[in-house]
Formats: sequence, structure tokens, C-alpha cells
Amino acid sequence: MSAIAEQPHEEHVEEASYEERTRRNRLGLWLFLFSEIFLFGALLAARFYLWGNTRPDLDQGTGLLATSILLLSSGFMALGEAGIGYDDRKTFLRSLLVTAVLGTLFLVVVVGLEWNIFGIEGFGELKLTDGIYGAIFYVMTGFHALHVLSGVILILLVWNNGRKGHFSEDRHWGVEGAAVYWHYVDVVWIFLYPALYLIGNPVSI
Amino acid sequence: MKDKKATYRQILIVIIVLAVLTAIEFVVALSLDNATTPLYIIALVEAGLVVQFFMHIYRLWRGEEHS
Repeated sequence: MSAIAEQPHEEHVEEASYEERTRRNRLGLWLFLFSEIFLFGALLAARFYLWGNTRPDLDQGTGLLATSILLLSSGFMALGEAGIGYDDRKTFLRSLLVTAVLGTLFLVVVVGLEWNIFGIEGFGELKLTDGIYGAIFYVMTGFHALHVLSGVILILLVWNNGRKGHFSEDRHWGVEGAAVYWHYVDVVWIFLYPALYLIGNPVSI
Repeated sequence: MKDKKATYRQILIVIIVLAVLTAIEFVVALSLDNATTPLYIIALVEAGLVVQFFMHIYRLWRGEEHS
């Protein structure tokens, strides 16, 4: 066996700096998000192929409310990330908590009202079994809601770590990663909202 | 590096612009028969704002900085 092979591997590897690791993590996260474009892109393509210039007659108020909540949550997430960058811990922790609450509220609007899982009168007229309209609507909002749910969990984990003082002005990749993911979820909804609620002639199911 | 207040102000401005664009989107959808193209142009502008100002895509090639 050669002398090189006998050396423990770790001795040859110089540990990358925090900046270098952050740079790699950032690139990895963006590549992951890029791959997600194909998932939501395929769902959008299915929507335009199957619905064409029509759409289910959904409640416009609910769609606008969900969109407003998610956009506002993105603002608070940006505020939280900026906060830790300036060592403004109060803004950081409060903003993250507000983002998680708004994300949960978005889920309540989509799953609670639009899907109407609790059977509230006057909501959720479109059912999963309503042919191509139900199938496309539920699969698109369902996939997106799963992303929102995982984002809320991620934000709460980051908030809890932040509360324990795990992040600092210079070292907060965890916050940045959660923020980029959350904004991505928002960007996806920016394209889903017109596709589901605004484009095409409304069709009564 | 921008000062804290300027960064917070920028976030507020982006949120206001996003809210205005969403309102325009809603009005356009109500007033046009085939609004697919204008709606997706507005959506692209909204997404561009979020990617640039909230997701800081430029950090991929410029590294750490606050703005």
C-alpha cells in the first residue's frame, strides 16, 4: 500500500471557510429550486392543456386573500433575514414568527376554505372529483400547499434556533436558506394564482 | 453595505409594488376577455422583483452583502 493511501483522508482536506461553505450551500439550494421549476412547470402545462381558455368559477375573494397573505409573508421573511444581517434580533425573531403565522393562515385559506375540509357552508364548491377542473386544481394547490407546510416548519425550526442564539450577523446561512426557499414558494404562487383564478372564461361545475 | 433603515425601506417599497401589481392583475383579468399574456407579463415582473430583492440572486456570483 502506498504512503499516500495510508494517510487518513481528513489530513489532506483543509476545512472550507464558512464563506466558502455558504457559497456551495447557496448554489446547491438554487439548483434544487431550479429543478422544482420542472414540477410546477409541468403542472402549469397540464392546466393550459386541459383547461384551455376556461377555468372553474372559483371565489375571487379567496384567491386574492391567499395571494395577499403569501406576498405579505414574503415581505416579513425578507425583513427577518435583513434583521439578522444587522444583528437586529428583535426584528429577526418577530418577523420570522409573523411569516410562520401568515404561512399557516395561507394554508387555512387554501385547505380550510378553498378545499373546505371542514364542510363550511358557501365554500369549496369545486370537488376533487369534478373532472379535469377538480383534478388540476387540487393537484396544483396540493403540491404548493405541501411546499408551504414544509416552509412553515423550516421557518419555525430557524426561529427556534435563532431564539437560542444560533445565528449571528456574519453567520446565518440557515436563515438565508429558509428565506430563499420561502420566497421561492411565493414565486410559484405568483404564477399559479393567475392560472387558477384569473385566466380563462369561468365555467360553472 | 446599506444602512439598516434603507434596507427595511426597500423591503417595504417592494411589498407595496407587489401589492399594486396584484391589484392591477385582478383588474386586468376582470376587464379583458383573453388576459393570458398581460397577466403573465405582470407575474414575470412580480417574480423578478422577488428574485432580485428578496431572494438576492446576485449573491450567487457576487458573494455576501446586504442590500
